[in-house]
Amino acid sequence: MITAHSLTKRYGATPAVDNLTFEVPAGLVTGFLGPNGSGKSTTMRMIMGLDVPDSGSALIGGRVFRELPWPLREVGGLLDAKAFHPARTARNHLRWLALTNDIPMRRVDEVLDEVGLSSVANKRAGKFSLGMSQRLGIAAALLGDPAVLLFDEPVNGLDPEGIRWVRNFLRRLAAEGRTVFVSSHLISEMSLTADRLVVIGRGRLIAETSVADFVARSGRGAVKLVTPDRAGFASALAAAGATLEDGEAGSLTVEGLTAPQIGDIAARDGLRVYELTPVAVSLEDAFMELTQDEVEYRPSSMAGAVGAGVTE
Amino acid sequence: MTDTTQAFASAPAGHYRFKHVARSEALKVLTLRSTAITLVVTVAAALLVTGLVANANLHHGAGYYFGFDPTQTSLVGLIPAALTGGVFGALLITGEYASGTIRGTLAAAPRRTMLLVAKVAVTATAMAVFSEMLTFAAFFLGQAVLSGGGAPSASLGSPGALRAVLMTGAFIALLALMSFGFGLIFRSTAGAIASFVGIVFVLPLVMRGISEPDLRYVPTQILTNSVMSTVSLGPGGVVKPLSPTVGLLLMVLYAAVSLVVGATLFVKRDA
Repeated sequence: MITAHSLTKRYGATPAVDNLTFEVPAGLVTGFLGPNGSGKSTTMRMIMGLDVPDSGSALIGGRVFRELPWPLREVGGLLDAKAFHPARTARNHLRWLALTNDIPMRRVDEVLDEVGLSSVANKRAGKFSLGMSQRLGIAAALLGDPAVLLFDEPVNGLDPEGIRWVRNFLRRLAAEGRTVFVSSHLISEMSLTADRLVVIGRGRLIAETSVADFVARSGRGAVKLVTPDRAGFASALAAAGATLEDGEAGSLTVEGLTAPQIGDIAARDGLRVYELTPVAVSLEDAFMELTQDEVEYRPSSMAGAVGAGVTE
Repeated sequence: MTDTTQAFASAPAGHYRFKHVARSEALKVLTLRSTAITLVVTVAAALLVTGLVANANLHHGAGYYFGFDPTQTSLVGLIPAALTGGVFGALLITGEYASGTIRGTLAAAPRRTMLLVAKVAVTATAMAVFSEMLTFAAFFLGQAVLSGGGAPSASLGSPGALRAVLMTGAFIALLALMSFGFGLIFRSTAGAIASFVGIVFVLPLVMRGISEPDLRYVPTQILTNSVMSTVSLGPGGVVKPLSPTVGLLLMVLYAAVSLVVGATLFVKRDA
């Protein structure tokens, strides 16, 4: 289990991570979600003992990373896909890592096999594609068979097959009872991979919840309506306190009422309904809504677009 | 949820130790192609220059050999080795920063002082073994050329010769450690090598432009005039060079200052 308590890190006057408290339990994939520059990597680096927090703590099984007796056997981290010397072979990269924690050399070949790099084990890692580099990084993280795993943007730059491989892999590690903490700025990916979410924006905690709850909590349950009686609905729904927007292909999007409520209004006023469908709020929408004020760098045109989508 | 991290593989009792980290660092040095390239270039350059210098000291008139120091003559060819040794020392740490390997290293062995002591021990041992072997080789080559050409030559039994050979090898290893310290301070290959070359090789040239500078404390001057020399200069010398022991201790001090500053920053800084 990973626990962050009031974790804070400033670079100059700007807080990169601001009073962040959360837990990452064992046996689940916990997604660490936030826009680029929101402090995900800094948080992971503090958990791994690479950066020292200004205040607060990050503990692994109750201990600070630097005090772990056998770090590689307890925590596996992939913080940086290309964090190896390009001139060294994949096998030699894993061999020096194994030596630091007295890990048996047979593990080197085991993890190479596990990530599918056995055939290129004696090739210089600098020649690897991004996908192969990610696999080598994952092999390094697995070397000590650790109970806690951290992956920073593990699917960045991977092709669809690679993304799927990583996704299944993370799920399997969690199913084995390990603590899996994986950061991403790709919301759709997290909705497929994660059980739980820790969502941050500008270094602050926005939400810590299950994926389902996260969507439900933020959703205002829109309903798609297709009708030839647009004018009739406009006045009836407005009277009921709902808002009406033009949706795709002549459909209307109603917010503020449920589908049964809209159906009742239609029956009462004799309005024709061709289609009436509740629209599930995607994780993406939920994320956009919650982080719209927390994105640090955003082109002004995009700010308008995001703003328009969430005006109340 | 439990509050303790249980490892999946059975972790042995105790914790990782210096010997584990030192073995790992030794493997790192041995598995880099740049190590082999640097060493081959160093050996080739050192022996070539040694041969040329010895050859240039053949067939002179008797007056030329008054105060002639065959030991020093056979060792000045190691000046290029001082340069490449410095580059090698810096690369051992800046290469980790350039490639990002340092983060993997710290994730595997987060006790930074222990890690650094292991790194310095491996670098020092590797450089000491290598440069001593090279220095002995240069000495024997130089003496063979000198005696083959009929010029005065020395043997390891000659006064001061063994001392000069051993200290020259140690001095080159110390230069590499000083450069390793610069690598820790600057964390970039360019910064470390520029400051190493700047301080060791360029600064003395600049100082020569200043009227009557005291160059005795400059590393290259200590190396050629104190450490390599077995013949004390006649009374004509303006300033008497430092004794070999004082010179070597001064170089120990230079390397130590560079390493201590570098280590202090390394332990404190975010990686």
